[in-house]
Amino acid sequence: MNILEANNVTKNYAAHKALDDVSIAIPKQSIFGLLGPNGAGKTTLIRIINQIIMSDAGEITIKGEKLNPKHIKDIGYLPEERGLYKKMKVGEQLMYLAQLKGLPSGEARKRIKNWLDKLGLTEWSGKKVEDLSKGMAQKIQFIATVLHEPDILILDEPFSGFDPVNANLIKDEIFELRDKGATVIFSTHRMESVEQLCDDIALINKSEKILDGTKKDIKNSFKSGKYVVNYKGSLNGLSNNFDVLDTASVDDDLSESTVQAKEGQSPNDILKELISLIEVHSFVEVVPSINDIFIDIVEGGKS
Amino acid sequence: MKQIFLVLKREYMTRVKKKSFLLATILTPLVMPAIIFAIVYFATQEKESRSDKVLVLDESGYFNDAFDVTSFEFEYITGDLESAKKDMLEQGAFGLLYLPNVDLGDGSVIDFSGFELYSKTNPSVQAMERLEGDIRNKLEDIKLDKSGLDPTVINNLRVRVDLDSFNISESGEAQKSNAKLSFAIGYGTGFLIYMFIFIYGAQIMQSVLDEKTSRIVEVIVSSVRPFQLMMGKVLGVGAVGFTQLLIWFVLIGGLGTVGLSILSGDSAVMEAASQQVPQEAMELTSQQEMAADIQAMIATVPVVKILLCFLFFFMGAYLLYGALYAAIGSAVDSIQDAQQFMFPIIIPIIASIMAMFFVLDDPNGGLAVTLSLIPFTSPIIMMARIPFGVPDWQLALSMVLLIGGFIGTLWMAGRVYRIGILMYGVKVNWKTIGKWFTMKV
Repeated sequence: MNILEANNVTKNYAAHKALDDVSIAIPKQSIFGLLGPNGAGKTTLIRIINQIIMSDAGEITIKGEKLNPKHIKDIGYLPEERGLYKKMKVGEQLMYLAQLKGLPSGEARKRIKNWLDKLGLTEWSGKKVEDLSKGMAQKIQFIATVLHEPDILILDEPFSGFDPVNANLIKDEIFELRDKGATVIFSTHRMESVEQLCDDIALINKSEKILDGTKKDIKNSFKSGKYVVNYKGSLNGLSNNFDVLDTASVDDDLSESTVQAKEGQSPNDILKELISLIEVHSFVEVVPSINDIFIDIVEGGKS
Repeated sequence: MKQIFLVLKREYMTRVKKKSFLLATILTPLVMPAIIFAIVYFATQEKESRSDKVLVLDESGYFNDAFDVTSFEFEYITGDLESAKKDMLEQGAFGLLYLPNVDLGDGSVIDFSGFELYSKTNPSVQAMERLEGDIRNKLEDIKLDKSGLDPTVINNLRVRVDLDSFNISESGEAQKSNAKLSFAIGYGTGFLIYMFIFIYGAQIMQSVLDEKTSRIVEVIVSSVRPFQLMMGKVLGVGAVGFTQLLIWFVLIGGLGTVGLSILSGDSAVMEAASQQVPQEAMELTSQQEMAADIQAMIATVPVVKILLCFLFFFMGAYLLYGALYAAIGSAVDSIQDAQQFMFPIIIPIIASIMAMFFVLDDPNGGLAVTLSLIPFTSPIIMMARIPFGVPDWQLALSMVLLIGGFIGTLWMAGRVYRIGILMYGVKVNWKTIGKWFTMKV
């Protein structure tokens, strides 16, 4: 079941088209990667979902219901350009942001305490934000995003500026929230985190959605039939079903080659042929990374 | 509504809790009178101890006792003008007053000229007027003397007149009025509005700018409509100004009452005494008289009406200009960038305060009526007029126009604000702002 659907969403600005007929469907309780280079239209789409701006055409539904002001409390949004009130105390600030999302103060106080304990920030509750380190401030921003326990979390470049320790901490929290029932929309142009986190992805480039689906399906569809083989011996005499792309010597008597299989050849076909020729030490299918796919498509789109 | 209130509450609490607010609020009513007192004190002190010397070269001999010795130290010299000029420079005197021989003729000559004042620095207007007055008085006295009139007759001819003015209402009720007090109230209330627009307008702008530069604004507008955020902010900062004003009124009112009762002795006791022994009331000391005068003067002013009008125009002016300040804050990335947009906003405010002096002079003239109806100038100008009495229809029209005015500016500001707050690093000019205004979100 899809918790959020965008159907044919279009948004024009005076000088350019920010979104052109974009449709995406986000399954409930998934981690959804919204990918694309800078300026592709990701933030515009997110702002439309957050009702900060309105689309010119198309519609968005949340839990099957047309987007309306009631949905504001169903969404937790961590924008790419984010900050806090520098002169305000951490506790007061979280309380304010929680109340703006409609949380009663008693409940908010309890949750703020729990979250601060969980992320080891309890003794900072009475401190002003300007006294916090950057990492701590980012944890506070994350808490502010999730305090009202939204069904949908929208995180725009959540790890930018995080050190690896904090990034992992937040990653774990994201997984935990997903397991508890939240759906996470994760917007980024950094592919390594997509690889780890996302179940589904959509790729937006130049205002248009050019690709979407589950991460697994997309990767499979971009397999190009390449295999890396470590072996002893020589590959001379391979049938013309295969091309050897390049070979390098790894050790004294060990070589590594990348082999391109013609269409319709299964891994077993290759293995059979290889075994008859050489001593196979390892055999791995080359699966494209999301990064490769991303670059491939974006660059391809340019030409 | 709840969202606006939450924003308002935050804006209000963070400001009111600041030490600087507490200091400004409590110290201003104490320090301002002290500063005024100090300035007056030193000015009079200086005048008394003034020892600037003026040399007088009096060829006619009429003027040897003509001058008020409290203004300058006068030294009478003889000789010709050129050597007198040298003397003046050598002695380091402030000036040289050259009074050539005058021909009084048969008494019908009234224009006298040829008197000259030489000085190294420009004399003040006051000093010139005082010297002129002294010369004129002396010449008049001499002419009167020559005409053979009895000096006592002349003294009896100079009378003092006290004109009491009354405002009369439609029902024929007469109310004693006081032009000087009206002037003071008109000026004071107008100036307060002027000051508050600047101080609190700038605070709104700063607050909008802070949210923009700290990048919190996108988080906030994912929970609150931009217009609600702007309204909450404008109202919250306004509530702070209002609180400050209220505390000032209470403090000044309290201090004023204490001051008056010190001047007049214990007023309750005094009243009781004056009822029992009426003639004792006649023997009030001059201080008590002054205090009684002030109390009587205050009684002539429609205090409640002025207060209510002040509250209305204060809030109206604040909302009207506050909205514009908010729009500017949203459009720019720094205070420096804001300067260019401030100009058109400041002009009507400055124009109001300058026009106020003419308005106080002629509170029911065409300029006064026109400016007190235009929403951008009406708060300051109408407050200047109200103590002198304003026709009800003008007051009502001015209020309606002001309400329309601030609704208009809030609406316009809201349209710029909703776009501006999400624009970082954009070079903004009037054209861009116009584009945002017409843009659909």
